[in-house]
Amino acid sequence: MTTYTVYKEQLPGLFEKWSESYALYVPAKLREGFYDLVPWKRDLEIAWDFDVAYNSPKRFLFPPREALITFNRKTCEAEPVFEAPPQILFGVHPYDVKAINQLDQLLETGSPDQNYVRRRAATVVMGYEPLTVSPTAFWASVGAASAAHGYDLYWTKIGPAAFTVEVGSARGEELLSMCGPLVPSTAGDKEGARRAKARVLFKARHNGLRYNWEETPRLLSKSWDSPLWRRYSQMCLACGSCNLVCPTCYCFDIREEADDQLEEGVRYREWDGCMLESFAKVAGNHNFRPKAQDRYRHRYFRKGKYIYDKIGELGCVGCGRCVRACTAGIANPLKVFNELWEETAHEH
Amino acid sequence: MAKPKIAFFDFAGCEGDQLQIANLEERLLDILGHVEVVSFREVATGHSDDYDVAFVEGSITRPEDEIRLKEIRKNAKVLVALGACAAIGGINCLKNFLAENVYREEVYGGQARWFSTYAARPLKSVVKVDAEIPGCPIDPTEFARITKELLLGRSPWIPDFPVCVECKQAGNVCRYEMGRMCLGIITRAGCKAACVSQGAHCWGCRGLVPGANLDAARIVMDRPGTSRKAIQDLLRFFLGDTGAAL
Amino acid sequence: MNTKPFSPYVPRPVTLVEKTKLSDFVTRFTFEQDNGRPLAHKPGQFVNVSMYGIGEAPFSISSPPRRTQNTFEIAVRKIGAVTSALHELKPGAKVGIRGPYGSSFPVMKFVGKDILIVAGGLGYIPLRSLLFYQLRHRDEFNRMVLMVGTREPKERIFVDEIADLAKSGDVEVLETVDMPDETWKGNVGVITTLLPKAELDPANTYVAMVGPPIMYRFVIAECRKKGIASDQIFVSLERKMKCGLGKCGHCQINELNACIDGPVFCYTDIEAYQEAI
Repeated sequence: MTTYTVYKEQLPGLFEKWSESYALYVPAKLREGFYDLVPWKRDLEIAWDFDVAYNSPKRFLFPPREALITFNRKTCEAEPVFEAPPQILFGVHPYDVKAINQLDQLLETGSPDQNYVRRRAATVVMGYEPLTVSPTAFWASVGAASAAHGYDLYWTKIGPAAFTVEVGSARGEELLSMCGPLVPSTAGDKEGARRAKARVLFKARHNGLRYNWEETPRLLSKSWDSPLWRRYSQMCLACGSCNLVCPTCYCFDIREEADDQLEEGVRYREWDGCMLESFAKVAGNHNFRPKAQDRYRHRYFRKGKYIYDKIGELGCVGCGRCVRACTAGIANPLKVFNELWEETAHEH
Repeated sequence: MAKPKIAFFDFAGCEGDQLQIANLEERLLDILGHVEVVSFREVATGHSDDYDVAFVEGSITRPEDEIRLKEIRKNAKVLVALGACAAIGGINCLKNFLAENVYREEVYGGQARWFSTYAARPLKSVVKVDAEIPGCPIDPTEFARITKELLLGRSPWIPDFPVCVECKQAGNVCRYEMGRMCLGIITRAGCKAACVSQGAHCWGCRGLVPGANLDAARIVMDRPGTSRKAIQDLLRFFLGDTGAAL
Repeated sequence: MNTKPFSPYVPRPVTLVEKTKLSDFVTRFTFEQDNGRPLAHKPGQFVNVSMYGIGEAPFSISSPPRRTQNTFEIAVRKIGAVTSALHELKPGAKVGIRGPYGSSFPVMKFVGKDILIVAGGLGYIPLRSLLFYQLRHRDEFNRMVLMVGTREPKERIFVDEIADLAKSGDVEVLETVDMPDETWKGNVGVITTLLPKAELDPANTYVAMVGPPIMYRFVIAECRKKGIASDQIFVSLERKMKCGLGKCGHCQINELNACIDGPVFCYTDIEAYQEAI
């Protein structure tokens, strides 16, 4: 793929141009001191050194609440509802690109989720090489330091005012060239990008699995009866925060509301989470995961084994968001997997 | 089919929930078009004892309230607790942490012996409650939805998960990450995390979420920089009638 | 011409044509597809029924596949919002459906074999689809044994139908109740107590069972005790199927989705899953 070198001074023009036909989101510092992707506006200071976006990018592709159908109560006819605003996510770290790729795979296979498919198609992903690493992140040790695909452009900051931009799609290249001809990166610039990656990988080493991540499914298959599940889940508030902030969690509930005339209505989906007490409860109140430890264990199995068995990757990209979001301090895939590894160490 | 008759009643409370309903304005006209309102002090005069659905606001704070509430229960096919005071006892329960002579003296001064009053309690301590619309004040859109569900013959649904869910959906920065206290971790959702989204923290006005892990919550709240007194005060503010308040 | 874009979440309208009370809480509903086409389901599959304004819920199809009719049946226990609303419907009313969804009983495997159908409580509802499909092709199957277990006599459903089956001689019927009353003259005890009563040829017998969650472990153990191999045992597992497409996550059994990998599973395939039985 072609790589171009783009300079900071070109960005305002590009952003201006893009925002004419896309909702453009860029990384910025929030009032509370954290970073997030926020709507771009002129003179907004871009947080080039953001460690992690507070909210995962899934909200742009799989919003917290999304209408699925409208219905008429009398005729019992229903119509699909599709919303897919054109949008550009500028500054998606590779682990989040990987998370998007995973959502693509899981929601588009089988009976494709048309609502997701359409939103995804209307979304331009501009990857961005991180400069810093969040204290709770461990993406480098779960195979999520680089994304081989899933982006339209991939930006790497190679100097105070210069970027290399790797093209991932024709759409990306077209967007990049909207303000005039592009300069292919020199070998030196590409070397700069390589070094930038090496620098952040070095920083990312502070936190990591003590074993090769590909061992995780095997590790878990030995750990169903581990006392760890109960030990940690005793503190579980069943608040679902770990699920909801996770860039790869996509479970949802379906609910509906009639309009005030009681003639028509909307059926919509809302983010749900397997850590919530009633997630597996059926009518008649039988709960297939009645205990906190059942739910807690399920989440780690899903992240470390079930997803892997389906697509060959962990369901955890190591972003560290759940570690921070868990007020009880028990959501921590790194700690859980490492402790299980210690527990079963004598077997290796 | 005859329109179901509905009536509104209030006990100890500020009638703020009925005001919230009145604030629905045009929507209220549509929704009330499906029913016959026989009693609604906040928007109209007149009263009748012939009703199917009773929306009851306020908590029970006097023995004679019980008699009236039981009468309402007898007349109504469906009794809905409206707002925090009715559903969970609400802030009226703050007085339950004081000695009776202290709060009587505080409120009524020298005339205290002329007034009857006892520990504040939610409706469900006195009669069977069929549905709750919790919150202080209630969310008018939730009132609208639940009323429609009742009209459609559905047992009303209210969230059975904590506020954290809606807070994360809203993309808020967690109060605990800002070194602040918040009751969202044990409070029933349904408010769309309104207070946190406005920069405040959750006060617990929608009551405890079913199965709330209070032991864990106390450990989570007990952080450096937070006084035990502050935690106790917050837990008593709305949750005085629950096991959360000590 | 209808050109609305496709979405798997959009139900299609069906009309209620008949409603039959089966017990105090269970009613059979016969629906007719408004598109005039047969439902084209296989025994063991389910449909998601939409009561618009109330919600959507999954129900096993209780009628056998019909190639020439556009009707199908479900039987529903009044237990939640959607089921209560269904019970209020009158013939002529419309609802929405999606599906049929999920896996089915592998009828072709049962050809020429003995079949033991074990129905606990409402489990008879989905098994009825299999049973009547097999009865329609009775010559292709060998022995057919039906075991029915109910908690109390008053909770028995399809009572006359099961009595007729017993009389017909096409099916050997064994029935029991857990808690008898003075009217009950038959077997007493949980459904597992019926298994020793039947002489089965383990090498040639396939088992299909549906019942409450607690039932499976014990009935499977009895079957294994009789020498029936795991791969001859088929179960249908109830979970919280919501989307029916393997997406929403509610019906997961370890890594399986009950809505697309199930609800019918061969016991061999789920033996290793801790959350299955």
